[in-house]
Amino acid sequence: MQEKITTLVEAAELVQDDDVVALQNMATQAAPMALVRELIRQEKRGLGLVVLVGGMAVDWLAAAGVIDRLIGAAVTMEQFGLCQQYRKAVESGWIKVEELSESLLNARLGAGARNLPFLPTRGAIGSDLIAQNPDNLKLIDDPFKGIQVVACRALVPDVALVHAHRADRYGNVQSEPTILWPDIGIMPKAAKCVIVTAEKIVDTDILRRNPDRTVLPGFIVDAVVEVPYGAHPTSFFPYYGYDSDFHRAWAEAARDDEKAASFMDRYVRTPLTQQEYLDAVGGAALLGRLENWEQRG
Amino acid sequence: MSTEWQSSPPAADYGVDELMITTLADLFQDDDQVCNGMASFIPVAAFMLARLTHAPGLIWLASAAGLDPRPDRVPASTLEAPLWRDSVMYLEQYGDFWNYAMNGRWIEKFCVGAAQLDQYGNANNSVIGDDYHAPKVRLPGTAGLADMGSIGKKLYYWNSDHSPRTLVEKVDFISAAGYLDGGDARERLGLEGGPQLVISNLALMDFHPVSKKMRLKSVHPGITVDKLQDSTGFELLVPDGAIPETRPPTKAQVKLIREVIDPDEMRKRGFRTN
Repeated sequence: MQEKITTLVEAAELVQDDDVVALQNMATQAAPMALVRELIRQEKRGLGLVVLVGGMAVDWLAAAGVIDRLIGAAVTMEQFGLCQQYRKAVESGWIKVEELSESLLNARLGAGARNLPFLPTRGAIGSDLIAQNPDNLKLIDDPFKGIQVVACRALVPDVALVHAHRADRYGNVQSEPTILWPDIGIMPKAAKCVIVTAEKIVDTDILRRNPDRTVLPGFIVDAVVEVPYGAHPTSFFPYYGYDSDFHRAWAEAARDDEKAASFMDRYVRTPLTQQEYLDAVGGAALLGRLENWEQRG
Repeated sequence: MSTEWQSSPPAADYGVDELMITTLADLFQDDDQVCNGMASFIPVAAFMLARLTHAPGLIWLASAAGLDPRPDRVPASTLEAPLWRDSVMYLEQYGDFWNYAMNGRWIEKFCVGAAQLDQYGNANNSVIGDDYHAPKVRLPGTAGLADMGSIGKKLYYWNSDHSPRTLVEKVDFISAAGYLDGGDARERLGLEGGPQLVISNLALMDFHPVSKKMRLKSVHPGITVDKLQDSTGFELLVPDGAIPETRPPTKAQVKLIREVIDPDEMRKRGFRTN
């Protein structure tokens, strides 16, 4: 079996300019933020981003000029508000959005995973999402009963980026009991290349104790990197909560281009390792609070 | 608390947030399956209230993922782990939740907010402005709402800012189908269900059975029909005769909301402060 362990730098180098990158993220949850920061440090350009519900990661990638298109169902930091840098980039026409409902996105990725030309759904009929997107969505007749369904063209991302609780050196990936969004349920299965950051790299024997918790088999995974608190400032249930102070600080900075740039210099470009980053955002005292899910508001 | 709510008198002191919660809670019965999305404090409080009063057997899928959870209060996010506390099951979204939601047999009722809602109940959470590719305002996006609008759900819209800005004649973009152009437009596409009620901070509205235009059902105490019409971006249908008042919360309901369900007042988030 092939060993997949690598560094953040080498893992991010697997992402090429102009790639379509599927990113795990649910508003303030579970984004592989260490990888996102590395993509920004490597000055990737022209990426298309696939998200179910993107949060701060999308805002950072937009602010850094890394992405110029987005395929997804929503972008918001929920209680911390809209992603202002992303919003500005879309409103100026710099980032093109292919907005999909959840079932449309799931169908596109499901078709990608199964190597089908398309999968149908009955979601979103009557909405403007379909007419807006003739290249990827078409109303067709069900060949059996004649009712209309939406054919959703297969989406095969070049890369999927996910964060997990633990993995072994061969790329077998395990989750603690938690809510699993389509991010890890379908994105890695549709993508050509899968990069995993894990809170911990463990011996395979540890995985054998709970094989029912293994969510991705190593044979579909290309790179694994151990990154403790790799989802910070998003939450990673059950290990740690979202960093509300940090979200609030970014939401405030993101309203102003200069403040956003200096925030990103401080937290994204300057810390070169995960340890430097964790020290910059508050170190052990902060992490202890987040582990106890002590959110401030 | 077990029966006190049944005989409790109307509250003298309550907020419109509490009235919206009690009005929504009345819509849910034992064995209904309901779910919530992001930033949904009013529906979440309504589900929790219904479970503590008339519908202890209401089946709630927190964040559309955690079955029958036991959060100790409304948390700061309706899409984070504290809401899923002590769930009976986690529903994996891709394989599980959408099967139940799309099937048609389950999860019949869905509460939702929209940045814009028009006279036929079409919703917009996508873009404000004419140019989709360079919009005046990029909104968060439709998430699962576009699906819920087309798969036979009964939709209940809540709106904490009843104004010509949010209740418009025609939405700039249909993120989720309501009754489209009205009449039988929805049926002609083969769509069942659709918007049932709109609960705003001023009134309760439904849709005319034939024209499918939004229609006043009751005004909240203290609100006049004129004030309501001025606050609506289109001509609201007003039935003949006296317009009923929306039933105010009872004392016991208000006590439960303030002391048990939402002592941190998360329900007040999302209300514009004037």
